[in-house]
Amino acid sequence: MPSIQKLNFDAVVVGGGIAGVESALNIANSGYKVLLVEKDLTIGGKMILLSKVFPTLDCAACITTPKISEVARHPNVTIFTQTEVKAIHKQDNHYFKAEIVKHARFIDESNCTGCQLCEEACPVVVPDQYQYGMVGRKAAYIPFNIASPRIAAIDIENCILCGACEKACPTQCIDFMQHDEEYQIITRSVVVATGFNLFDPVKIPRFSSETAQNVITSMQMERLLAPTRPYNHVIRPSDGRIPDKIAYVLCTGSRDLSVGNPICSQICCMYSIKQAQLLMGSLPMADVTIYYINIRSFGKGFEEFYEQAKGMGVNFVKGKVGKITEKSNGNLTLRYEDIKTGKLKEADHDLVILSVGVLSNDDPQQFFAENEWKKDKFNFALQKDLFFKPSLSNIEGVFLAGTTSGPMDIPDTILSAGAASMETIRYIKQSTVEI
Amino acid sequence: MAKTDLKFGKKLKKYGAVDFNACYNCGTCTAVCALSNEKDSFPREMVRYSVLGLSEDVKGSLKPWLCYYCGECTAYCPQEAKPGELMMSLRRYLTSHYDWTGLAGLLYRNLAAYLVAFTLIIGGIVGLYASNTFQFEEWMHYGHLFEMLAIGGVFAVIILPNIIRMWYSTVWKPTKKFKLKFYFKAISELLVHMFTQKRSLSCDSDTKNKIWWFEHFVLVLSYLALLFTTVFLDWFSATNTIVVVAGYVFSGAIFVVTTDFVIRRMRKRSEKSTFTHPSDWFFVIWLMLMGFSAFAVRLLVDFEMLQSTFWVFLIHITVLVQWALIIVPFGKWTHFLYRSFAMYFDKVNKLSK
Repeated sequence: MPSIQKLNFDAVVVGGGIAGVESALNIANSGYKVLLVEKDLTIGGKMILLSKVFPTLDCAACITTPKISEVARHPNVTIFTQTEVKAIHKQDNHYFKAEIVKHARFIDESNCTGCQLCEEACPVVVPDQYQYGMVGRKAAYIPFNIASPRIAAIDIENCILCGACEKACPTQCIDFMQHDEEYQIITRSVVVATGFNLFDPVKIPRFSSETAQNVITSMQMERLLAPTRPYNHVIRPSDGRIPDKIAYVLCTGSRDLSVGNPICSQICCMYSIKQAQLLMGSLPMADVTIYYINIRSFGKGFEEFYEQAKGMGVNFVKGKVGKITEKSNGNLTLRYEDIKTGKLKEADHDLVILSVGVLSNDDPQQFFAENEWKKDKFNFALQKDLFFKPSLSNIEGVFLAGTTSGPMDIPDTILSAGAASMETIRYIKQSTVEI
Repeated sequence: MAKTDLKFGKKLKKYGAVDFNACYNCGTCTAVCALSNEKDSFPREMVRYSVLGLSEDVKGSLKPWLCYYCGECTAYCPQEAKPGELMMSLRRYLTSHYDWTGLAGLLYRNLAAYLVAFTLIIGGIVGLYASNTFQFEEWMHYGHLFEMLAIGGVFAVIILPNIIRMWYSTVWKPTKKFKLKFYFKAISELLVHMFTQKRSLSCDSDTKNKIWWFEHFVLVLSYLALLFTTVFLDWFSATNTIVVVAGYVFSGAIFVVTTDFVIRRMRKRSEKSTFTHPSDWFFVIWLMLMGFSAFAVRLLVDFEMLQSTFWVFLIHITVLVQWALIIVPFGKWTHFLYRSFAMYFDKVNKLSK
């Protein structure tokens, strides 16, 4: 095992989603050295995988990638992907010691050209996590076309060590001898931008998402609608038919104490309305029905966006779906109470999208073990001063960016990242300790 | 125009309802209910009536009786508003509403009233015994006579008028229609539901529910059979072997099933047995005591030891009187009739539409 490498930074940003990227850029642009740590193979988080954003219907990839390339090329930013934060210890005088592990990618990052010849050569096919399992990928693969860095990685868990990729690689950059590298980072401040997890609908068995192929999550629908989509068309998974009766089930895993998440996820109404509009565009013959408890269109232009969807013919039904049953032809029967009439109803659809909610990501709790990372009653990071300093965590020198502190949409995430980076810069400036 | 009873929510809480104000009207409860359908959608409607204080609508509705409390609505309620328990409480409320004496309501709302009533009966029996009015044979004779009188009296004075009141609130008042032929047409509903409780089978398709239904079915039949055996065949004094054995089987079955029901309510493993109102405890425990003490009395008769252990008979007669004068007319016993009559009236209402 090689020895632990030591590096110094002014700020460590944990999480390379849009909140982390925005924070890193703000801090780096003020002249400070930033380490951006991402546990995935690529930065960009969930936003880079989205189709379009509400309520402007801008292409998500098109507005994310400039930020991504900016941060990737920034002289003050170092990016570690596939890297895990093991522990962050707060030291007395305005600095932290972080232990991080950069997992082996089994690729010489500086030499990979992203030619994808290894991908062609690889005989192993596994579900593609970046397409949410809807298509396959190889064990030697580039995450997706607009990934950053756009270089290959070997999925060693599924790799059969046949060596086909090694033979195919024109730059000989595949290296099965690589191993994890340990780093000890000294930093003045930490920005936590670990984001959120999506609710896993398997926890609600009566929605049949595990057994019925045509019950998909909203993130899968994002992929079906995105420019880099898996099938280049919106089709339903079971038989590839073009759906024409599509249903959305709102509040899947949100506002639901029976699954332990009592709060509103703040984005599902709007992203579902957005997807419905996009579906009306790509499948003009399809009927789209949104089953809801309350439509929460609280942001600027959101209500108008909702009205626009109604105007386009999206059908809104007040009533939460209680049960989804798969029929032999792959269609789904939805059982719900139509709140307007008070009658129990059943409706047939050929594709059902579960608008899954936002859950907290508990990673910070593990690496802040000694410093007692505090959470609020909804499991998100505790904001020390919700009203006047929303980006301060309970640990001095640790700042909160984006959905770490609660569900929010992309504009709010950028605002939150702005606030967090401003607080971070202020904090670094005050620091007098030499590191 | 709908009339709002501002204190309705508070009233219902006394019948055991909890947290129903948390409801945000998503309809999950109705959508997961296996018994709910387009014609009869519940329980959210009942939750809404309760939250808004629409007591008249509740009184006119048969829906609380259409629910057999599988508890899925409570398990899946996103607001933990416990709609299943509200339906149970509404059944208690309706039982009190149908009762013309007002005693059912008094007992449901006050545990103290229950205890006073029970104590009065114990006092009466002990007093009667202490005053030496009756000889042993007379106790046996009058005990039997009491059973017959109590059945006739309670039925004529309390139960029959209450069923008529139920009919008035749920059939006559809302529909203002009366056609005798529908009452004949629907009569099978009454009998089928009274003796089989088959509706609760479609409540939940799992085996546990089937086992519960079977136990309940055995309990109902054994209870009715024991009633017949003791009252009309005078089991305690009977000499016919078939009658004697049958009595043992019936009282034994009652004891076994009710013991299991008590254990279920103590373990609280299913939604159905999680919340237990005092009236539920009295109902199931007294039924258990009846089964047990009747069994014991006949056993002592067979061993010719009853005269020396006369206190066993006194306990039996105390339990019996408490059962016949409190639990049967004013307690949970009435659900046996109200449930089946609800199915009957519901059918009549549907026919007249």
